[in-house]
Amino acid sequence: MLSIKNLHASVEGKEILKGINLEIKPGEVHAIMGPNGSGKSTLSQVLAGNEAYEVTSGEIQFNGKDLFELETEERAREGIFLAFQYPVEIPGVSNLQFLRTAVNAMRKHRGEPEMNAAEFMKTAREVSKQVDLNPEFLKRGVNEGFSGGEKKRNEVMQALLLEPKLAILDETDSGLDIDALKVAADGVNALRSEDRAILMVTHYQRLLNYIVPDHVHVLAGGRIIKSGGRELALELEEKGYGWLGIKDDDAQVAG
Amino acid sequence: MKPAPTLSSAFLTPGSQSLPQPLLDLRSQRGTALADMPLPTRKTENWKYSSRHLKLSDELATALPVKGKSGPALAVPGYHVVFHNGVMVPEASDYPDVDGITIQRFADLDDSLASELAERLDNTLDAKAAQLARLNSARFEDGLYIRLAPEAVLDQPLFVISETDACSSGSAYPRIYVDAGRHSQITLVEEYISLGDEPVLVNAVTEFTLADGAQVTSVRLSAEGENVQHLGATGVRQQAHSRFDSHCVGFGGPMRRHDLQVRLEQSGANCRLNGVVVTQGKQHYDNHTVIEHVAPHCDSEETYRNIAADQSHAVFNGRIHIHQDAQKSNANMSNKNLLLSTGAEIDTKPELEIYADDVKCAHGATIGQLDKQSIFYLVSRGVDRREANTLLTMAFINELVQQIPVESVRETTQVRLNQFIEQTFEEA
Repeated sequence: MLSIKNLHASVEGKEILKGINLEIKPGEVHAIMGPNGSGKSTLSQVLAGNEAYEVTSGEIQFNGKDLFELETEERAREGIFLAFQYPVEIPGVSNLQFLRTAVNAMRKHRGEPEMNAAEFMKTAREVSKQVDLNPEFLKRGVNEGFSGGEKKRNEVMQALLLEPKLAILDETDSGLDIDALKVAADGVNALRSEDRAILMVTHYQRLLNYIVPDHVHVLAGGRIIKSGGRELALELEEKGYGWLGIKDDDAQVAG
Repeated sequence: MKPAPTLSSAFLTPGSQSLPQPLLDLRSQRGTALADMPLPTRKTENWKYSSRHLKLSDELATALPVKGKSGPALAVPGYHVVFHNGVMVPEASDYPDVDGITIQRFADLDDSLASELAERLDNTLDAKAAQLARLNSARFEDGLYIRLAPEAVLDQPLFVISETDACSSGSAYPRIYVDAGRHSQITLVEEYISLGDEPVLVNAVTEFTLADGAQVTSVRLSAEGENVQHLGATGVRQQAHSRFDSHCVGFGGPMRRHDLQVRLEQSGANCRLNGVVVTQGKQHYDNHTVIEHVAPHCDSEETYRNIAADQSHAVFNGRIHIHQDAQKSNANMSNKNLLLSTGAEIDTKPELEIYADDVKCAHGATIGQLDKQSIFYLVSRGVDRREANTLLTMAFINELVQQIPVESVRETTQVRLNQFIEQTFEEA
């Protein structure tokens, strides 16, 4: 589904990714772990197509298409979804309006009829309950005045509504208390299916207790320096990143 | 040195509509006073950014012909009065005959009402600050007179549709005078529209006087065609505990200007002034507002937003004048601006003049662009880029549009603004 070869990317002239290689197949759940500044978020942003990041070399194929040929919105319509580490607040655009516009853009792309306001309201209410968000929040501005946990759950809710092929979760666990983390994890687990892949980017292994990955990769200094199975995350928790010869700014690894 | 340009005498010849004698007399007095009036230049402070857009060529001086009928039928909900080239069209109008509420065209006023009106016209507008409003008084050919007796309440909004026929070159001078008695209530919706593509000038003046406890809601939409210069002025005088609630929405044009002057003359009077302006192409729009806090314990709340695209130009000049006796005044002014292209220009100038020492007075002005992170967030969800831009631009003004208290106007305004903004991003 996703094939990344020798990806180099920089931001404001500074090279962050220095040769990433990664293969993800449908149905798989991958976790990318690494200390702060290792390039985890850069990788997510590059996959989603943020223009602030410049790809200097390498290639990415997504379901047989050259990802760099696609604009951000086209990538989304082809099935790439990024749950933001820091979801943007947009006062003046209601969540409901935003979500319906997005869902209908996807439906249009797939040749399905658009949903009217009433149909969409029904769907949105159901999904909002799934992530334990009060449906009242649909009327508020996008992420406006949401707590950190509500923002993250709103991201998961969007993933459920948009039904992507590849869901990239950038630090979806950060800032969540344990109850909120469980709710978010339940939402993500509900996304798991044979034809959908999930890429989790996280600093801590805590999330992986709730969403069990098939593959774990350690990203450091802009490269994947070690890959393994679920056990690699547990090993990291026990030994810290220092075990792999990496300096972690946070010192504390396994939260 | 080149002599300062003056108003061409061609502008001082009114059309031939019949009016009661006192109003004809007033008109000719005003005309005489305007002879050789210097036109605003770049050096005229309150015309600094707009004088170059003002084109008062002689061909615009001609009064537009009065056909006595309106163009295509206008579907207006509720009470409405239609003006065509500044002259009322009774057949197209529909408003109630209610005890305590007088709604009459100037042409139909009896001599005593007409002479009373002639005494009062122009009293709400400062001649210097709204210079060209006096031209309306020298030229109007009809007008709408509304008087509410004490405690009279008009149960539905009254729409005043001012349609200008731009099928030939010339000018029109719509005029409205509203006298709201003690504790009376009215909602007036002024809508300025046009037909045709010839260059025309619309010089519109509306005045409101609010007696104790009167509540007036004013909605003003300036949405004429591409070649219409619009010079508008609204003057308001408020007595004790009266409330004036204003919602102005302006679409850009070759020259668009609105002067809004409010005088809070007795304790407890308060006003809210909201304004939204959108400009694109090479359009221009200039809002000049003045709030005079004359008496103590008055509140004013002003919020204006401008959005300028392409090479267009928007101006906001907001003056708050707190007089020496106006202790405990509460004045709040906010002007936020959104530039949609590097070629657009917005000039904003808050002017505060405060002579009382126990007042609360706050003002803020910002100029910004659409946030790139917000655009990325929206398009990363599959939303079309143009739609994302439109959503974010509408978000900038939604709060004000939502406050328009007449549902049908709120909805059509939203649709019109949305179309205008979508068009902006289409051409980009």
